[in-house]
Amino acid sequence: MLSSIVLSNGIIQVTDKCKACDHCTSICPTHAIKGRLGEKHHIEIRKCINCGQCLINCPFGAINDVSMVDERIIKALKDPNKFVVVQEAPAVRVALGEEFGQAPGTNVKHKMYAALRKLGFDKVYDTEFTADLTITEEGTELIYRVFNALGVPGYEDFGPLPQFTSCCPAWVKYAEDKYPHVLPHISTAKSPQQMFGAISKTYLAEKLGVDPSSIYSVSVMPCTAKKYECDRPEFMVSGFRDVDAVMTTRELAQMIKSAGIDFMSLEDEQADRFIGASTGAATIFGATGGVMEAALRTAYEVLSGETLGKVEFKAVRGRKPVREATVEIPVKALGGKVLPVNVCIVTGTKYVDPVIEDVLAGRSKYHFIEVMNCPGGCINGGGQPIRRDTY
Amino acid sequence: MSIFTEKVGMTRRQFLKGSGMLAVAVIVTGVFAKIGFDAFAASDEYIDQRIAGLYTLDEQMAIRKSHENPEIIQIYQDFLSPGEQKYLSEKAHHLLHTKYGKDIPAFIEELNQHRDVA
Amino acid sequence: MSEEVIKGKVLKHDTQTRTMHWLHLLAFIILGLTGIGFYWDIAGIANIFGGPANASLVHRWAGVVFTVGPILYILLNFDRFSRFVDTITSFSRDDFAWLKTMGGYVPFIKIEEVPPQEKYNAGQKILGILIIIGCILIIITGFPMWLWCDVVSSAFLAICYNVHFWTAIIMILLVLGHFFLAAIHPKSRVEFASMMLDGYIDAEITAEHNAKWFAELQKTE
Repeated sequence: MLSSIVLSNGIIQVTDKCKACDHCTSICPTHAIKGRLGEKHHIEIRKCINCGQCLINCPFGAINDVSMVDERIIKALKDPNKFVVVQEAPAVRVALGEEFGQAPGTNVKHKMYAALRKLGFDKVYDTEFTADLTITEEGTELIYRVFNALGVPGYEDFGPLPQFTSCCPAWVKYAEDKYPHVLPHISTAKSPQQMFGAISKTYLAEKLGVDPSSIYSVSVMPCTAKKYECDRPEFMVSGFRDVDAVMTTRELAQMIKSAGIDFMSLEDEQADRFIGASTGAATIFGATGGVMEAALRTAYEVLSGETLGKVEFKAVRGRKPVREATVEIPVKALGGKVLPVNVCIVTGTKYVDPVIEDVLAGRSKYHFIEVMNCPGGCINGGGQPIRRDTY
Repeated sequence: MSIFTEKVGMTRRQFLKGSGMLAVAVIVTGVFAKIGFDAFAASDEYIDQRIAGLYTLDEQMAIRKSHENPEIIQIYQDFLSPGEQKYLSEKAHHLLHTKYGKDIPAFIEELNQHRDVA
Repeated sequence: MSEEVIKGKVLKHDTQTRTMHWLHLLAFIILGLTGIGFYWDIAGIANIFGGPANASLVHRWAGVVFTVGPILYILLNFDRFSRFVDTITSFSRDDFAWLKTMGGYVPFIKIEEVPPQEKYNAGQKILGILIIIGCILIIITGFPMWLWCDVVSSAFLAICYNVHFWTAIIMILLVLGHFFLAAIHPKSRVEFASMMLDGYIDAEITAEHNAKWFAELQKTE
């Protein structure tokens, strides 16, 4: 069974094409790749967080990820009894076009919806909807954790500060493997992908009047670690696998090409109703600092009761591996007291250790810490188109 | 029997050619190293371009705050906290939150029991 | 000239030249062997050097010898190097005539008279130029793979590997041809002893094969 392979062997494998160049060992954030220069490399499964950074950076294309396309997605699409729904991550829409000759950053969101319908998906939704849901849940959780820390009665059940984001499955696995003591700090909110899975087989089934057992939930992700996440045993709150299969941006492009669809000449289409609407806050989830900025937009308005004039928080943007910023929020519930919220953004798991050490030692001044495994955020994920033209 | 040996030293032309060859080798190496470093500097430009793509898309969106998403408002009103706009409601907590690490086996047990009750 | 018997010996290759040639040759053999072993995954070759990781270590340090050897030689013998470069980069009418007849090495090209040559004939000149270009390419692509492998981008590394491989293949073929002509071919195998052993070659042979150079040597006598 594919799922047992995924859970026991992980997603990433070094093939025989390895030229032993040793480039990947410096890319790997967890030192999971073993082998010296000249020796064929292999991955130590225990340490691998399935991020796929080695895969997109291998000079020889010698590293593969497990594919769920043939064994799961194609089968489900052919099965007339399956109601196949699909979600696409924010980072997919600005990179998918690269596989069809567009410049990086070209938005092909609407063509992507059209292509997915052509491929036979019954309903096309958007992960951005559940990204918004993540913000309302995770942002509220952060607010309650702050109340708990301030000693406001009624919030004792909420965990300690600072709160870490939980959207990145590679980062979550890293914390579980290496820093079990930091787990209470990680937001209990599921990642947008898993929220979509749970919602698609409960709320959506109810709204559309479809039997949840016939719903097959597929996601298109810029990420290889999401494949591992979807097979994790605890994600079955709907009574079924919440997300049944994951494909990467590369695999979607491959499916579109082999179906003979002329992608760039497709008409623009929209996502379907109920769980397909999205906001700008969800769109920027794909970039490093995006989750933080989206959370700040909502937290500020919810806490202060005021409307933000300027929604951009430019201080959290950028490409530096570790960034910090302070946002002053007047809190209505505390009588207008101004609360300085210290936030930190980490992009690249190899830079997260000192931040975690500070948190565990109680030295951290932060309230909210965003961690994304891939440098630059999800747009540079292990499932994204591999750049060979930029040297 | 006589031994023939070459004259030592070099003419001006030979010196120029010899130094020229050395200079060419050094320049080729330098140019190659420069290509390498420039290439490295340009190798992650696509990351900035993709990030810029997302921020541009954000600016084009009519709604830019998560809690203003009409379908988010609808899912709380209709499903997660019927009749009101309560984030982290009991149902939301059940469907949208999880546990980590060593808490997972007990969490799975809890989910199974919940299903049996329902 | 062929009528008259010329007695004596010519010192064709100095001790330092021969040492450098030996060093470069041994390094080249080790590099070629280990390199072939890496590219085609031949476990036997890697095992001779103590496994793939050690073979790679041997390859890298042989590469250092391969690089440092000629550089030291050039710095210590700049005049010899300059004369060598001058010779191999100057092509006269005789050289082109030599190339037309392929120096009499190719059986089916009829020759009446091989044109007189300098210290190196036109074929050797071309070999010399190609070997210098090959060495530069293989050295400048080799070191980034080792020292910068975690600094440069993956696409640049892939270019290095490809250029390194194809240069190596061409160099191996060139060196095999060089070996055949200088050590096996009956017409020119006498050259072998002069480069590999004492550096001397019979004056008579020089007079026949490198007439222009020999005339120059006689002038300076």
